[in-house]
Amino acid sequence: MKLWSHRILLGFFWLSGFLTLASVGTLLIFLFVKGAPSLSLKLIFGDADPLRALILLERVFDGLFPAIVGTTSVVILSVSWAIPVGIAAGIYLAEFSGQKVKKIFDFSFDILAAIPSILIGLFGLTVAIFLHQHFSDRIYPCLLISSVALAVLVLPYIVRTTQLSIEAVPHPMRAAGLSLGASKLQNLYHVVLPRSVTGILSGVILALGRAAEDTAVIMLTGVVATAGIPGSLLAKYEALPFYIYYISAEYTDQKELMTGFGAAIILLTICAFLFIAAHLLKNLLVRRLS
Amino acid sequence: MSEDSIKIAIRDLDVYYYERLVLKKVNMVFRDRELTAIVGPSGCGKTTLLMVLNRLLDTVPHARVEGSVELRSNDQGWLNVLRLGETDLPSLRRRVGLVFQHPNVLPTSIFRNVAFPLNLLGLSHQEIDSKVRSALVDVFLWDEVKDRLDSSAAELSGGQQQRLCLARTLVLQPEILLLDEPTSFLDEDLAEKIEALLLRLKDERTVVVVSHYNDQVMRLSDNVYRLS
Repeated sequence: MKLWSHRILLGFFWLSGFLTLASVGTLLIFLFVKGAPSLSLKLIFGDADPLRALILLERVFDGLFPAIVGTTSVVILSVSWAIPVGIAAGIYLAEFSGQKVKKIFDFSFDILAAIPSILIGLFGLTVAIFLHQHFSDRIYPCLLISSVALAVLVLPYIVRTTQLSIEAVPHPMRAAGLSLGASKLQNLYHVVLPRSVTGILSGVILALGRAAEDTAVIMLTGVVATAGIPGSLLAKYEALPFYIYYISAEYTDQKELMTGFGAAIILLTICAFLFIAAHLLKNLLVRRLS
Repeated sequence: MSEDSIKIAIRDLDVYYYERLVLKKVNMVFRDRELTAIVGPSGCGKTTLLMVLNRLLDTVPHARVEGSVELRSNDQGWLNVLRLGETDLPSLRRRVGLVFQHPNVLPTSIFRNVAFPLNLLGLSHQEIDSKVRSALVDVFLWDEVKDRLDSSAAELSGGQQQRLCLARTLVLQPEILLLDEPTSFLDEDLAEKIEALLLRLKDERTVVVVSHYNDQVMRLSDNVYRLS
């Protein structure tokens, strides 16, 4: 390749990398400039005493605390449903399925990944109505229905990354374990999974982010503007993405809008905590498995 | 020569990758307490043949095998290797050990690499410790790694990794030892030591070596097969 074309290509790569970084940086700076002034204990706990609110002795009426608890609960619940199913399906596709089955599953998960989240929300709502009519009139759109619907939404990310990470383990590495008398399952546990756990956890992190930011699914399946801390899986709940959406659409003055930016910073912070937890889990798993 | 000494008999073996025939009508026998060399140009299917013998070729997508490979088993007579079920393969692979040309250490410590097959068998810590040490001594690696057994195996040099892989297979004391270019990463001095080890090993088992080095083949082998 000629020197000038090499330089142009290199410049393009550099520019693309820079633009990505610049967009993230600009977004974060924008959020912090707008939202930081509204960040305060009052934004989170309103007029309630923070300590009493944290141990659930006092209800928070005009703060984000119930939405923080709701978001954290729905995200953790949804990935808890999606992780075992997603990882098991990914392992099956990578290690045990035949070519024909793999093609059918690949196609299905691609379709699932491409379905707009509002449709998954609509499906969740339909399921809730069906359960209400046929099983128990205590069942309404709630935390449980939301978390299951979100699990369906993030499932393809976990399945795909698990499958690709396992398939990426080089053949000589797999052959090493098998040639020493390991069964297929032992080889999977001792050789293949330790090599692919980093990739699998990347899928989980992606799923965490996707579950935390989605509004369309939860809007139809259980989230409301005011519900307090959810008392059970069948209760309605509040969530930060919905609060941000609600405030942006319905704000009455500039100060109220700014609390939406404050909520966005808190949502990002929750995601950061969940990502760090996922990283710690990854390091623990790598140590344990190898 | 006596039929009783035959450990593995390959008859009319064809191997295909997709529809391409890579080994055609291979007929060979490997005898007990003999070292057999397989020679031939690169890409003629030597490694593929070794992988057929302990069914590791099953793990290669789109590979297909026809013909028969029979393994003499003291208690069961002749065992048709190609007809064994999935659950019998771990035991077959413990009996027919294969060391690859390119070292493929596991992503763990030096000690755990060698202990891995013993852990799968559920041996006690004392047994594992002594067998690991003995295998590392056999391949002339003990002095080089005894102070860093918990270090990552990936930190070893190519030659050390090759000997580690040999130790890892020897620790199971396989009846048949298949070696693909066992000295390709070693200097002359170490290669001579490993050759001496192979001569010692063949006194107790069947050894099959794939080698590009004609002088090595002449020095070591009781039998030579040439693949074309």
